[in-house]
Amino acid sequence: MRKELLFTDMNGRGRREAAGLWLCGGAWTVTENARGRFEMKKKGFTKYLFVLPGFCFFAFAMLLPFFMGIHIAFTDWDGVAPEYHFVGLKNFIAIFKDTRIKAPFLNTLEFALLGTVIGNIIPLSLALLVNGKYAKLNTIARVIFFIPVCLSSVLTAFLWKFLYHEFFPEVFGWKNILGNPRWVILGIVIIGVWNTAGTNMLIYLSGLKNIPLELYEAAKMDGATGIQRFRMITLPLLMPSFSVCVTLTLTSWLKEFATTLSATSGGPGGSSRTVSIYVFDNLYKYYKAGYGQAISLLFAFILIVVGLLVSSFFRRREVEL
Amino acid sequence: MKKYRVELRKLPYFLLVLFAVLVFAMPVALAVLTSFKSKPDLAKSLIGFPDQIYLENYRGAIERSDFFHSILNTVMVVVPSVTLIVLCASMSGYAVARYYKESRILMLLDKVYLASLMIPFQILMIPVYKIYKTLNLLNTLHGMVFMLVGTSIAYSAFLYVGFVKSIPREIEESAYIDGCSEFKCYWLITFPLLKPISATVAALHMIWLWNDFNISVILLQKEAVRTITIKQFYFFGQYTADYGMAFAAAILSMIPVVLCFVFMQKYIVNGIVVGAVKS
Repeated sequence: MRKELLFTDMNGRGRREAAGLWLCGGAWTVTENARGRFEMKKKGFTKYLFVLPGFCFFAFAMLLPFFMGIHIAFTDWDGVAPEYHFVGLKNFIAIFKDTRIKAPFLNTLEFALLGTVIGNIIPLSLALLVNGKYAKLNTIARVIFFIPVCLSSVLTAFLWKFLYHEFFPEVFGWKNILGNPRWVILGIVIIGVWNTAGTNMLIYLSGLKNIPLELYEAAKMDGATGIQRFRMITLPLLMPSFSVCVTLTLTSWLKEFATTLSATSGGPGGSSRTVSIYVFDNLYKYYKAGYGQAISLLFAFILIVVGLLVSSFFRRREVEL
Repeated sequence: MKKYRVELRKLPYFLLVLFAVLVFAMPVALAVLTSFKSKPDLAKSLIGFPDQIYLENYRGAIERSDFFHSILNTVMVVVPSVTLIVLCASMSGYAVARYYKESRILMLLDKVYLASLMIPFQILMIPVYKIYKTLNLLNTLHGMVFMLVGTSIAYSAFLYVGFVKSIPREIEESAYIDGCSEFKCYWLITFPLLKPISATVAALHMIWLWNDFNISVILLQKEAVRTITIKQFYFFGQYTADYGMAFAAAILSMIPVVLCFVFMQKYIVNGIVVGAVKS
């Protein structure tokens, strides 16, 4: 055996050190692979012991409910009784016959549309605003824009309910838009955007920081105006941030639950009820858990498809420097 | 003083920043102001300053909303959860990052964790309720901890995997040569090196779990186990007429998270940016 002890992964490791690893035995095995090279592998199950505790929690809280949810969707469980029956595709057929689901479905779409548009324009503007050369001012502004992110949706909804209910009518004479079926969704979207703008702003900001300044200087030399520079340099190079932020805001608005539940609990007259709230109502109000689960399963499927489509749409528009 | 003179041309820019800051800070500032007003003061004017600082609101909030009890519940849920998340996720992240090339199972696990980030909570809502009902875990704080940890593992492990990949293996390997066992090597050598990302994971989850609503609204229905967010959900429903007191309760409950944010700002910002870039 005149073969040298070579390793697939040679991070400048000396041969003596490698031999030492081999000699310490137990934990490592050295095997010869097809190309006549020696490979080093960790033996034993220790690596699985490392992932075990985390996986147990994950399996209990995500995997088990996920598969159980698929099962429940095909039953007539009412949420209370210990026994229930398998009903096949009945729940799924019922979704398409349900007249009550139309309003939550359309509301959710409206939430998603408004939320995604406003929830990206405002954070992007904020990011552009604090990306200047005034370090101290920008840091303070950034912290203030981010503080709402620390507040829970319940708290935020309550704060804004006070604003809409008492403050705006008294100070500006505006009517409470949460009481108006036409504008209530816009009102909730404003609450949500205030609450989460900080996160998206940070993502856009880190995208902006990655754009080399030389590009702007070169464009300036060539006589590009500010708007042209934004359109031709900033926007294309910001695409990675767009794909993250748009996908995240879109899917989170499609899931909209907590803010709406605490701001209007779906009212007035069901005009801000989302699909998630409808699922929740099916569990606690209408005692039709099986049916609710069927809706959420179908909806989750739509959500994942939409998420993947949107993110691949933006990914294709990303440019490499 | 020349340093502080601002170019006049930039004035619109400063006004714009000022305006944005005012809009964003206004709701919180107004809440603080209102919490110090007595009822007659509040009736007089919403925006004016109170004649004198009125602390009764805070006393009332603490007494009436059973404030300390629900804060204690939240602490009892959040602290063990964050600890478990940091321990379990760092170990998972470490093993996945180090051995995913040689173990198909670990590679699959990595993929499963990533895919699970796309599952909306709504789909788990009803089954979780059912599981907890069968296991008699509804309205228990430890049941809440299991759920919070389980739903947070995937994202935190994902943050850890990225970070562990940037740490050179050589340090661990030299420890193996010296005869260190794998667990000992992990706790004595790798885990301390993971401090920055552990701080990020802990700070982000401290804020997220403190504010959690989706899971607690389903699992914690009984008065005795309600966390502060759920408490407020019902409290605000009951006492909406008494804004001064409601805001006092609100401000008290946000102090811990805002403090956490102020001290851990660097790590939180880092976590959000890293998570976004990788996903």
